[in-house]
Amino acid sequence: MTRSTFWLRFAGRTLVLLLLIAGTGAVASAQTGNIGVTVMEAGGKAVFQAQVSVVNSNLGGLTGLDGKVLIRGATVGPHQVRVLRVGFAEQKKDLTVTAQGTVAVEFTLSEVAVSLTPVVTTATGETRRVELGNTVSSIDVSKLTESSPIANMNDLLNARAPGVLVTPGMQTGTGARIRIRGTSSLSLGNDPIYVIDGIRMSSGSGTSLFTGDNQPSRVGDINPEEIENIEIVKGPSAATLYGTDAANGVIVITTKKGRAGAPQWSVFGEQGQLADRNPYPNNYTIAGHSPGLTAYRECGLPLISAGTCLKDSVRVYSPLNDPSATPIGNGYRSEAGVGVRGGTDAVRYNVQISREQETGIFKLPDFEYTMLDTMKLPLRPWVTRPNALDRTAFRANLSFAPTSQLDISVSTGFTTSDSRLLQSSNATAGIGSQGFGGPGYSTNGTVAVVGTPLHGYRAWTPAYTYQEKVQQGVNRFIGSMNVNWRPTSWLQNRMDVGNDLTDRLEDNLLFRGEGPPISATYRNGFAFSGRADIRTITANLSSTATFNPRPWLNSKTTVGAQYTDFKQYQNGASGTDLPPGTQTAGSGATPGASQSTTLQRTLGQFLEQVFAFNDRLFITGAVRSDQNSAFGTNFQNVVYPKISASWVISEEPWFKAPHQLDNLRLRYSYGKSGVQPGSNDALRTFAAASPNIRGVDVPAVQFSTLGNENLKPEQSAEVETGFEARFFKGRISFDYTYYYKQNKDALISAIVAPSLGAAGTVRQNLGAVRNLGQEIVINGQVMDKPWLGIDLTLTASINSNQVLSLGGTPPQIGTTIRTLQGYPLFGLWARKITGWNDKNKDGILTYNADASLNEVFVDTAFTFRGYSAPRQFLALTSGFDLFKRKLRITALADWRGQNRYYNNTERIRCVSRQNCNGLMNPGSSFEEQAMVVGTRNDPSATLDGFFQPGEFVKLREISAQYTLPSSLASTIKARSASMTFSVRNVAKWTKYRGVDPESDFTASSGGDAPSDFQSFGAPTYFLMRLTLGY
Amino acid sequence: MTNHTKFLGRHASLLCAAAALVVGAACHGAVTDSLLTATDPDLITPAAVNPPDGATALRLGAIGRLRSIAGGSESVWLFGGLLGDEWTTSSTFIQNDEADERNISLNNSSVTGQYRTVNQGRTYANQAIAAMNKFLPTQSTNIAELYFARGFAELTLAQDFCNGTPLSDGATLTLGAPITNDAMFRIAMASLDTAVTLTGSASDALSVSIRSAAKVAKARAQLGINDYLGAATSVAGIPTTFLYEVTFALTSGDNILWSQPASSRRYNVGDTLVKTSAGTFVVKPSIPFGSAADPRLPVANSPANTKSQDGSVISFTTNVWGQSTSIPVFSGLDARLIEAEAFLKAGDATNWLATLNTLRAAGNIKLGTLTSPVMPALTDPTTAAARVDLLFREKAFWTFSRGQRLSDMRRLIRQYGRDQATVFPVGTHYRGVPYGTDVNLPVPTDETNNPNFKGCLDRKA
Repeated sequence: MTRSTFWLRFAGRTLVLLLLIAGTGAVASAQTGNIGVTVMEAGGKAVFQAQVSVVNSNLGGLTGLDGKVLIRGATVGPHQVRVLRVGFAEQKKDLTVTAQGTVAVEFTLSEVAVSLTPVVTTATGETRRVELGNTVSSIDVSKLTESSPIANMNDLLNARAPGVLVTPGMQTGTGARIRIRGTSSLSLGNDPIYVIDGIRMSSGSGTSLFTGDNQPSRVGDINPEEIENIEIVKGPSAATLYGTDAANGVIVITTKKGRAGAPQWSVFGEQGQLADRNPYPNNYTIAGHSPGLTAYRECGLPLISAGTCLKDSVRVYSPLNDPSATPIGNGYRSEAGVGVRGGTDAVRYNVQISREQETGIFKLPDFEYTMLDTMKLPLRPWVTRPNALDRTAFRANLSFAPTSQLDISVSTGFTTSDSRLLQSSNATAGIGSQGFGGPGYSTNGTVAVVGTPLHGYRAWTPAYTYQEKVQQGVNRFIGSMNVNWRPTSWLQNRMDVGNDLTDRLEDNLLFRGEGPPISATYRNGFAFSGRADIRTITANLSSTATFNPRPWLNSKTTVGAQYTDFKQYQNGASGTDLPPGTQTAGSGATPGASQSTTLQRTLGQFLEQVFAFNDRLFITGAVRSDQNSAFGTNFQNVVYPKISASWVISEEPWFKAPHQLDNLRLRYSYGKSGVQPGSNDALRTFAAASPNIRGVDVPAVQFSTLGNENLKPEQSAEVETGFEARFFKGRISFDYTYYYKQNKDALISAIVAPSLGAAGTVRQNLGAVRNLGQEIVINGQVMDKPWLGIDLTLTASINSNQVLSLGGTPPQIGTTIRTLQGYPLFGLWARKITGWNDKNKDGILTYNADASLNEVFVDTAFTFRGYSAPRQFLALTSGFDLFKRKLRITALADWRGQNRYYNNTERIRCVSRQNCNGLMNPGSSFEEQAMVVGTRNDPSATLDGFFQPGEFVKLREISAQYTLPSSLASTIKARSASMTFSVRNVAKWTKYRGVDPESDFTASSGGDAPSDFQSFGAPTYFLMRLTLGY
Repeated sequence: MTNHTKFLGRHASLLCAAAALVVGAACHGAVTDSLLTATDPDLITPAAVNPPDGATALRLGAIGRLRSIAGGSESVWLFGGLLGDEWTTSSTFIQNDEADERNISLNNSSVTGQYRTVNQGRTYANQAIAAMNKFLPTQSTNIAELYFARGFAELTLAQDFCNGTPLSDGATLTLGAPITNDAMFRIAMASLDTAVTLTGSASDALSVSIRSAAKVAKARAQLGINDYLGAATSVAGIPTTFLYEVTFALTSGDNILWSQPASSRRYNVGDTLVKTSAGTFVVKPSIPFGSAADPRLPVANSPANTKSQDGSVISFTTNVWGQSTSIPVFSGLDARLIEAEAFLKAGDATNWLATLNTLRAAGNIKLGTLTSPVMPALTDPTTAAARVDLLFREKAFWTFSRGQRLSDMRRLIRQYGRDQATVFPVGTHYRGVPYGTDVNLPVPTDETNNPNFKGCLDRKA
């Protein structure tokens, strides 16, 4: 028996004994009494959902609709009771509890113009925000969903918090790339993790289907209507106790819970339209002929300049811009839901159900109906509308308190959805390739093999793309139980257990005789049916002891353990060469099958100690130790430490502040967290193969991965410091944060020299990357009159990223992206176009090997051209309250910049499609021509011209919410009623030459090299919502 | 003891209890092990391939990789054809454009994959040889085939890649230093000699096939080092009907010489004229494979006016291969062509021409889905240069896209003194960009992770 094993077993065996002691202690505890708390606001109106707590204890509760809460089990003696409620100033009162009696205390809260939620959820439970040494961004989701155009999780998170970059997918039903405080990992994912109601939530890109475009995300399964609030824990300094995998931040979701009081019904209905208001580029063709010949040919500008082709005309067309041929139309969205909340102090419930249906903007062009009819091909649902979502979400949350010491909360959510996805962007069969790739005219012949007119599309028309069905069905259950047991007033035990279970069903179907003529066999039909069982089991245990060794000192000690078990079992059956009319995998003449499994388990233990000095200085120290199934055999354990301090310096007696300053808090936090390797990265493995040898398929194995027995998690350490200040009686608040985050043992997919004949890469702990940045949040109540209220929230952030070390491995060189020491991760590199000069004054730029004749100048060496994703952010949310706050108008606009965006659409149009402005339009600018000459004619083939300014301003949301008069609401027997009209993706301003500087076909596939490749832009949503309360 | 101290003492006990509850439950050794064990059924561990069955599976995996180097994946057989004159790109892939335009970047992902595949062929063969020698040492024919597979990988490195490819040891993970093409040919010959030796004088069909394949492969290597007589000697006695083929089935992958050019229309048969929707462009010089109307390589635009994958180039493909048609890696036909070249090099034009005409008159040589018809006899063009042209043109049609043309084009420069501008396409590519100067495939950037490798020694033919 090893020494460590001995101690572990010793600890386990003494557990029972110590529990007995604990039980004795509980029984023998002092006499207790009750505290009856009433919370009102200045006008005498009861304050609902105020958080009442007995200072330095675990006792507390939420006020009901009558503003009252009864706190049982307070030890006899003096106590201080604190009341917190967003929108009101914190209040504390002293009182003395008597044995078996109830002492009443009443609070009258005063409103503050701006305030953050005073309590946040941490790994050790709910904590006052003021005690944290780190910043946590909060999103009041329940309010947003009623007042803003929120269709999905992407909308909910985008531009809400500083330092959080959300790049949404453009299709209905797709996910987003979310990066918090930059990118840290060279080779692993940079996605945050998600916690919902205390348990880990599966959040990966969730499909085995290929669309060439954005993919569905398991995060997107969550209906925003179910969420009460979201908290974003941004970096390792705050996420230490979430352990391995949390280095990229944690998004903590809390669903709506029951509230004590009579049942309150809420009914809502939403209807809306989606429209694509993005500009799409025209296709150009210069029609001409060779000197001395009459045969038609097409000429690029350089050939005209050289005189080898003579221009006859310039032809301009795009099916995307032709109303009679476009595949883009209006989409539709509707959602309706009903919920009820209520209960007593002992039992509370929230039950809700909602259904949403969204049809994306893609439609079948009118001419296709004729074509399909002529060819006697059926109009299948996915052919007429290839992108759609239909989702029903049911949630039932129950909280009950069997005794004054025990709270149990059970949260259950079930979602069932079907999403239909369109092949686009990088898919050979995709619509983008056809729409962006045609010539400058619509009479461009016929589709190969089938012979129907092309109507200006490149190789086939939309119906052929749409005929391939790509569909995902999801049945998902997330269930958790949170137990809070307070055997004494100073000891609190918590347990969170739960399972996030997803059953995913995927279909990819093409009937025989349909689809694009991609290959000789494609139109023979195929069917794929995939099933995946994805589950994440979580078990958290923790215990917190609170006591006061001195009147001015409070101590809170928490010990805990966390276990997460992620499993994904996936299999698929496929069949190609389908008989006519069949649509199952088994009916294909050539069958196929696949199976894969992913397993990942983490066990962590942590200890946290918090000291509060005079309730204004809070010092926290913590340590977490993790073991993980993905660590190498030579690496067993990782330890993550943390220390933080929060000091409400303005409450110090000696602090002399100007009278305008209400509150000043200083924050500092240091902590570590990690990112775990891939589940099998540590192992040397062989792979199965079944080659055909001498006419027979045989079972074989081939060397696959090298493995790394020393593999350990990537570790990130972060220092975060800042302050929060409130001015003018809470009318203005200012929150500043600086962070410095550096990882070590960064996992690099080190390229294996091909001559070794092994797999392409091996994971090694080699690199180091740092991110530093600043974040600012300014809230202001500019005007607060009955007839007009104006509130503003400004968030700003900047991030600087640099690779400190690649551990001696060579730079990672890609076509556009390079990772070099001393430069940002995923930076864009090219030979720079330094200038141009139309020396012969013919209005056309050309390349010439003779420098004296050359007109486009390109550097010989590659240089860093810019970040590939935005690194500076500014968002402004403004609200206007009119007519005694009956009408509220809000708008959200944001600016992002300091990056270049890869216009890969234009690149392929200039290089392969030969229909771009700079190549085929004599009226194009020299800048556009230089871009083309640089990549087509200059020997460097530089892509520099396609790395275009990525800055943009977007007016993302505008909404007007009108609260109907009670008299009007009562006519339909409603307690309350409100109407909201809102628009998402209202307008954008950018110098980017492509469709949208957020169009990125890789946004939800986990990568960090954005690329606008034959991608469409974000549609505009026009939504109308009616919310009724009963 | 003060009340305060008592309070602390009692609280400490309770805190310990709570701590023990969570830590004890979590950290008990056996519990920890069971909680963290994650055995992935997808994985095959090294231990699993140790038994004799494992050796056989490794052997089949290595032969399977040989298939990938030849016509089982988008291999050097196709990319070498793009770089040479057998194929013209008609796809939208920039990697293919670079090869066709003779301007291949060092991080061309397709070439990187092909280079890795060739090296995997060698490593897999070495791993299988070790396993077979350990568990099944009496299966000498099977072991011989592994040496043949290794030699074929080495031959491919020498024929198609630049001067200075490193050879590393994938078993011990020892990184090697660059080796000249000449040295690589000789290394390949050693492997192939071992294959021949191991088959001994066995007369079973498999042994004969492997022995013959190894001899033809060795002869190709001998051509690479100017040993024409040796090459002819190596292939002497191999019947013209001999075939060592890679085979295909719908369940395990298509013939890539069919799926990429004919099925997906990403490659057009090379020609002096390239027809696109933007006009017709002249490419010089090139053997006009497409328009030559040679019965060994029927080419058609079928159905009429069908365009290629890029939506512009008028598709001209061949039906020499079908979806599952076997492809000869080496054949008796190759043996005769090697003999013909040896005759010509030795100044024996009579036997050179007779050898070529015998093949043309045979009327039964298998060419994929086709059987060669009886073709008119060739006449001697009388000049040395024209004889060389004729020989290499005949070879080009007989061996179209079987991984020999690029090597032969390089030899025309290296061994026959031709200028690259008369061998490879030059001027302006049909896409309107100038041709580069590549005459071989580069060792890609990924190899710089081998500290012994600093780049190709040169990019000469």
